[in-house]
Amino acid sequence: MNTGQIISGAGHLGLIFWALLGGLFSPEPLPVETTDVSMISGEEFAALMAAEQSPDAVAIIETPEPPRIEDAAPDLASTADDTPDLSQPDTTQETPPDDAPDVSRITPPDVAEVSDEAPQLTPPNEEVAVMVPEISERPRERPTNRVAPIPVAPSEPDVRIDDVAQPEVAPDEAAETPQDVTEETAQEEANTRIVTEADSLEPPSSSLRPRSRPTRRPEPVEEPQETQTASDTPDSTVNAALQEALATPTSAPGGPPMTRGEKDAMRLAVQRCWNVGALSSEALNTTVVVAVSMTKDGKPISGSIQQLSASGGSGAATKQAYEAARRAIIRCGATGYDLPRDKYDRWRNIEITFNPEKMRIK
Amino acid sequence: MKHILTLVTMLMMWPVSLLAQDGEPLRLELTEGVIEPLPYAVPDFISDNAEGAEFGRNMARVIANDLSGTGLFREIPDKAFISRITSFTSPVQYADWKAINAQALVTGSVSVDDTGKLVARFRLYDVFSGGELGSGLQFVGTQAGWRRIAHKIADQVYSRITGESGYFDSRVVFVSETGPKDQRAKRLAIMDYDGADVKYLTDNSSIVLAPRFSPTGDRILYTSYESGFPRIYVLDVASVGRRELESQRGTMSFAPRFSPDGQTVIYSLTRGGNTDLFSMDIRTGNSRQLTSAPSIETAPSFSPDGRQIVFESDRSGSPQIYIMSASGGEPRRISQGKGRYGTPVWSPRGDLVAFTKQAKGRFHIGVMRLDGSEERLLTASYLDEGPTWSPNGRVIMFTRETPGANGQAALWSVDISGRNLKQLQIASGGSDPAWSPLQN
Repeated sequence: MNTGQIISGAGHLGLIFWALLGGLFSPEPLPVETTDVSMISGEEFAALMAAEQSPDAVAIIETPEPPRIEDAAPDLASTADDTPDLSQPDTTQETPPDDAPDVSRITPPDVAEVSDEAPQLTPPNEEVAVMVPEISERPRERPTNRVAPIPVAPSEPDVRIDDVAQPEVAPDEAAETPQDVTEETAQEEANTRIVTEADSLEPPSSSLRPRSRPTRRPEPVEEPQETQTASDTPDSTVNAALQEALATPTSAPGGPPMTRGEKDAMRLAVQRCWNVGALSSEALNTTVVVAVSMTKDGKPISGSIQQLSASGGSGAATKQAYEAARRAIIRCGATGYDLPRDKYDRWRNIEITFNPEKMRIK
Repeated sequence: MKHILTLVTMLMMWPVSLLAQDGEPLRLELTEGVIEPLPYAVPDFISDNAEGAEFGRNMARVIANDLSGTGLFREIPDKAFISRITSFTSPVQYADWKAINAQALVTGSVSVDDTGKLVARFRLYDVFSGGELGSGLQFVGTQAGWRRIAHKIADQVYSRITGESGYFDSRVVFVSETGPKDQRAKRLAIMDYDGADVKYLTDNSSIVLAPRFSPTGDRILYTSYESGFPRIYVLDVASVGRRELESQRGTMSFAPRFSPDGQTVIYSLTRGGNTDLFSMDIRTGNSRQLTSAPSIETAPSFSPDGRQIVFESDRSGSPQIYIMSASGGEPRRISQGKGRYGTPVWSPRGDLVAFTKQAKGRFHIGVMRLDGSEERLLTASYLDEGPTWSPNGRVIMFTRETPGANGQAALWSVDISGRNLKQLQIASGGSDPAWSPLQN
């Protein structure tokens, strides 16, 4: 017997003695919660279950009172109807006979003259022109010398062509104060594209766009905030918080930012003078970025105009494209662009990209 | 933790970004402009003497006609001028020219020197930029050549504003037509591009067709029925001398055209009822057959680099336009639209082919890309045919004939955009125009 078996036997004996002597098998019962029960009969159990399954009907419903009956009986007395008058009508009165119709007034119809001969028909006049209502022709685009983003209808022949259309103002002779005479002017006729002779013989595939109101400045439109979706980046909440903080306009020293409407107005103003009609096809493939500084009254400073970059054309083509851009800025800014004066710091310096991509196909 | 660090970093940079935004320019992008004639002014060229004054007035008119005739420019009449040009060297009063919306101003002087030569100088001003556009130039020539000097000045103005070379100092050879349709007399004539200074190169004893300039403008190829059969002749413009190109008996040769190097002539030859394309070395007279299909191949035209030719063939059943190597080979059809295509001519720029198209009972002059795409019909009439390109590839001249027994053939031109369609004003009727290169 080795030492391990001895130690194991001793251990087990010790454990047995501890269980017997330590009270592990003592007769004291464990505390058990008890409750009183009562014996009930089967009828009582069935009544109890039926009460559990039935709906709750604890509300007290007042028993309606029966209608009160008067003690006195109602008066059932009635009066007899009057006897109707059954006397016969007086038959001795004679009615006058109807007037006999005056046959003499009826004229017999004319006897139709029937002949076996065929009637003589009057031949129709020869070469009679029948006026058939003409179908109005569909409007056709006319070739014009001018192509502009906004089409301009042809003006009356006597009206002077000018950049701005304005009605004629005649002085009121009855007015006390002298009034200026304004000659009627109209913009030069323009199409949105070049109309060739072959095109002008075919009906247009689409109608011209309606003419826009010329003088009204576009309503300022707030630029929509850039929205970020949850799938953008994990930092979307951080960026959103930062954008919200940066969006506080009143703290910017240059005033509120330019609205999209104000930018569009400026863009349209320059576009009106950007004449690419005399550019070569290579210059029409050239995009130039031009910088210009502005005075506070919205006029471009000619000396500040410079070409920042160019792409798509050779040196000569770039030069022509830049000159056309430069002319556009100066021409339409001669009287000052309509820019918000309170935001001067925002448009003190302007960079304009002149990209004639849409003019190549016109 | 990472988010917090990012937020802190960005908030630290906030004032910096605000400052940067405040100093940044307003950025705009324009993709649409207007296409309209550019207003310009050409006062009469000033002169020191009465002899020169007459030239000065006439030259200003020729320059104005050249520029306005393109449809790209619009002259402001001198009645609207506020200030007058009294000296070629005096500064220009830009405000006066701005006030009448003159965007370009051409000033000049003209004089006759001691040797009888005409001396003309000009300057071009960009009025709204307040500066000169390019440098002043001086031209010296004969008094008889005053129109050419004016055309050269107009070419310079056109080139400086548009960025492409001009075409005013060029000529046109054409078939002058007189008399009724059934007895029409035809002879070769040459004129300035604008219809001025018409000179006749042949008499009207035989029918002449399809003249074509050499690349240097000194020779003309044309077809004549002088021998009873169509034969190709080459004519020297200066001496009006001519000779027949080598031909074979029993054949008809026509529709000739020079190669860009002027050494080769490509033409059609009908033999045994079949018409094919041939090329001929103009020095040796050796010819080579380029096509051998049983169909009709005609109206060949070289590409500007001389490597390819475009021509007309009815091998598909109807006349269509094909391109193949200048040495022959398998052609590829490029015209894809409905109708009959003919008389293709390769653009001097190399990017377009002009053609005549017949569809739905009308004739058109049109242009298409080399793969047949972007076909654009520029004209439409009873009969339009025979396009020829201006030297700069901007304008196409062609023949328009009116219907009826008294119908007349006339020369017309149109810008490749389809604008500025107009008839050339010449004394007689005209057909088959061919534009020369720019003169030296």
